[in-house]
Amino acid sequence: MKTEHKYDFDAIVVGSGITGGWAAKELTEKGLKVLVLERGKDLQHGSGYLGEHAPGYKQPFHGKPDRALEERDYPVQRKVYAFSTANRHFWNNDRENPYATEEGKPFDWFRSGVVGGRSLLWGRQTYRFSPEDFKANATDGHGIPWPVGYDDVAPWYSRVEKFIGVNGRKEGLAQLPDGEFQKPMPWFAIEKTIQQRLRKSAPDITLTNARTAILTEDLPGRAACHYCGPCENGCSTGSYFSSQSSTLPAARATGKMTLKPDSVVERLQYDEGTGRISAIHVIDAQTNARRAYRARVYFLCASTVGSTQLLLNSSSAAFPNGLANRSGVLGRYLMDHFLGVGAVGMFSEHSDSYFYGNRPTGLYVPRFRNVGKQDDDTDFIRGYGFQTMINSSNWMGQLNAKGFGGALKSQLSAIPPTWTFYMGGFGECLPRKRNHLYLSKSKKDRFGIPQVAFDFEWSDNERAMGKDIQQEGLRILEAAGAAFTMPIGDAQTLSVPGAGIHEMGTARMGDDPGESVLNRYNQAHDVPNLFVTDGSFMTSASCVNPSLTYMAFTARACDYAVQQIGEGVI
Amino acid sequence: MNRREFLECAALLVSGTVIQAPAFALNEEQQQYLATADDYASRPANLLNEAQRRIVAAVAEAIIPRTDTPGAIDAGVPDFIELMVADWFNEQERAIFMAGLEDLSARIPAEFGKPYDELDSAGQVAVLERMEAAAEDSPWYQPGNVRRAFISDAPFICQLKELTIWGFFTSETGMKQVLRYNPMPMKFNGEYARAPGDTTWAPFSFYR
Repeated sequence: MKTEHKYDFDAIVVGSGITGGWAAKELTEKGLKVLVLERGKDLQHGSGYLGEHAPGYKQPFHGKPDRALEERDYPVQRKVYAFSTANRHFWNNDRENPYATEEGKPFDWFRSGVVGGRSLLWGRQTYRFSPEDFKANATDGHGIPWPVGYDDVAPWYSRVEKFIGVNGRKEGLAQLPDGEFQKPMPWFAIEKTIQQRLRKSAPDITLTNARTAILTEDLPGRAACHYCGPCENGCSTGSYFSSQSSTLPAARATGKMTLKPDSVVERLQYDEGTGRISAIHVIDAQTNARRAYRARVYFLCASTVGSTQLLLNSSSAAFPNGLANRSGVLGRYLMDHFLGVGAVGMFSEHSDSYFYGNRPTGLYVPRFRNVGKQDDDTDFIRGYGFQTMINSSNWMGQLNAKGFGGALKSQLSAIPPTWTFYMGGFGECLPRKRNHLYLSKSKKDRFGIPQVAFDFEWSDNERAMGKDIQQEGLRILEAAGAAFTMPIGDAQTLSVPGAGIHEMGTARMGDDPGESVLNRYNQAHDVPNLFVTDGSFMTSASCVNPSLTYMAFTARACDYAVQQIGEGVI
Repeated sequence: MNRREFLECAALLVSGTVIQAPAFALNEEQQQYLATADDYASRPANLLNEAQRRIVAAVAEAIIPRTDTPGAIDAGVPDFIELMVADWFNEQERAIFMAGLEDLSARIPAEFGKPYDELDSAGQVAVLERMEAAAEDSPWYQPGNVRRAFISDAPFICQLKELTIWGFFTSETGMKQVLRYNPMPMKFNGEYARAPGDTTWAPFSFYR
């Protein structure tokens, strides 16, 4: 395709993370000249993974947190499990890039600050939405109906799964459709025992491999997992999927991608004459220099919060309440999965068995509540799944043991006889208008852009589900023969909103332009050359991890956009 | 297996970080590939005098002695402790440490006629056991209280134990000669046979 001289690029993609990488790959492979704008710093695949494979003795303070630095620069980011000394440079600097919350309404916004975004740091859990998930809103009346069904998305799920590489096991469940899987990772002996017992004593429960975007078989340019353990420190063999390991290299190979880090997008410029976006305004994060770029089509892949913030900050006479916000729902219906509740059990079997290698994922219990119909004994709608994890303790678990000398040394070095099996619930959150983000009226960032602010609360449905998660978790552990069990978390408080790191909604898709921002192809109802394909399009949340769905919709939207360009519509 | 062991294991799986007061000495961002960096404990430390260093080394060795495998001194733990107290501890923590060290420096010669590091190993351990008994009400000893921020008001004996245990099992010697070290397993086997005396794998990520 020849770029018209009035454009700098055929397409501009905002964001280089999990969806931005997909947009870059799909659009360049279809012949478009693409500019990718990333607000974070540059980072090279491989050589940028400064903490990869670093043992404790190489790390400052042997891996204990640099408390003063983290207090100053990462007071939010340091709260997430994946944050460490070894990967601190991947994360957003909270001092440089703050956001606002309301008194008594906390919201954790975990963000990356480098090329690759959160695809470097994600939990790599990869699940398809089910046909029932796409029908949930229409069935129970929460939110608005999805404008697409499972069959519309299924081929795109396959396309994405094959490219990113997902290891998993087919189960034939309606509520968790099978995908294109590489061979599953092996199990711990105790996991096999638990599964065998559950088949007899809790036949409604399926225990399967967590479907995870980590290779068990080589793909071009990427090696199968070497089982070192902490994926979140970066993987120079590209064994887990990130835009850095997969989609950005594919886009780069076309010769048609330009990627600019340190590029903070301030606003999109809407032209009333053409009814299109005519330019994108960018601030250089290093020099504060401003410039604009023009393209035929714009893809927002800046994360749910980032893209919605950008649209809200792109008001004009035609769209006084935010770009493409004729419906008034932009920023509304914010969702996150809740977690923080579950159950944990201890098992005394297999004390002669240990493990070799660090399996960087666990098992999964697919949704079993309210499947296909409302269960008689539930006081909530929709459902949840469990992610599970096996722990065999080590010296860190006995850091405060009493005693001294050879006996203490032996105790701290020895393999404990027991196994701990943790079940963490991931619950679906209802789309509710009151949960929203907006631009702060008083607080601005270092570029003069209004800070994003959050107002989010869990509802009774989530709390009732949280209680059920604890009860059912205990039932499952007891059915599995655990010697001790204990509920985890507090079903009244659940996790801090945002801590699921699955923030979504706020620019939802729908067939009715009066109630939604985007159409069924992620295209703004009112602005044909604007597509939004990160989590902000989500009309409902399901209970499964959403990244695969974001990627599939991104690939689908790219296909549609190029088709529309071909037809002369855009 | 008992309830306490269970709580210890369970606590490892439940994340949670306590906010800490700011300390000093801000480090700039890492710019270096850590796996090829100099060992942390190889940096120069200049907080303690020689007499204090002898006491700290003797305490560390009493906590994790050389047996048929290397001990705390072999693993460079005394240097690690001095660096951590100098660079990582906040003022409150450092004050507790220095007061505790001062107490040992003065009290032991008064009681036994010679400094701590010249007591025989049974005598050294007995001193520490008395300190541990006196501190046992500290939250530091609460079962399962391991996945947490450093406890800033923890007594001297708890500081010594935490820094010694942490420093030892994250040292190259501790990881490779006492635990088992394998940064590139290349496969996963969840039914790997366990032999008597086997030690755990040296972990590559750390509770914060």
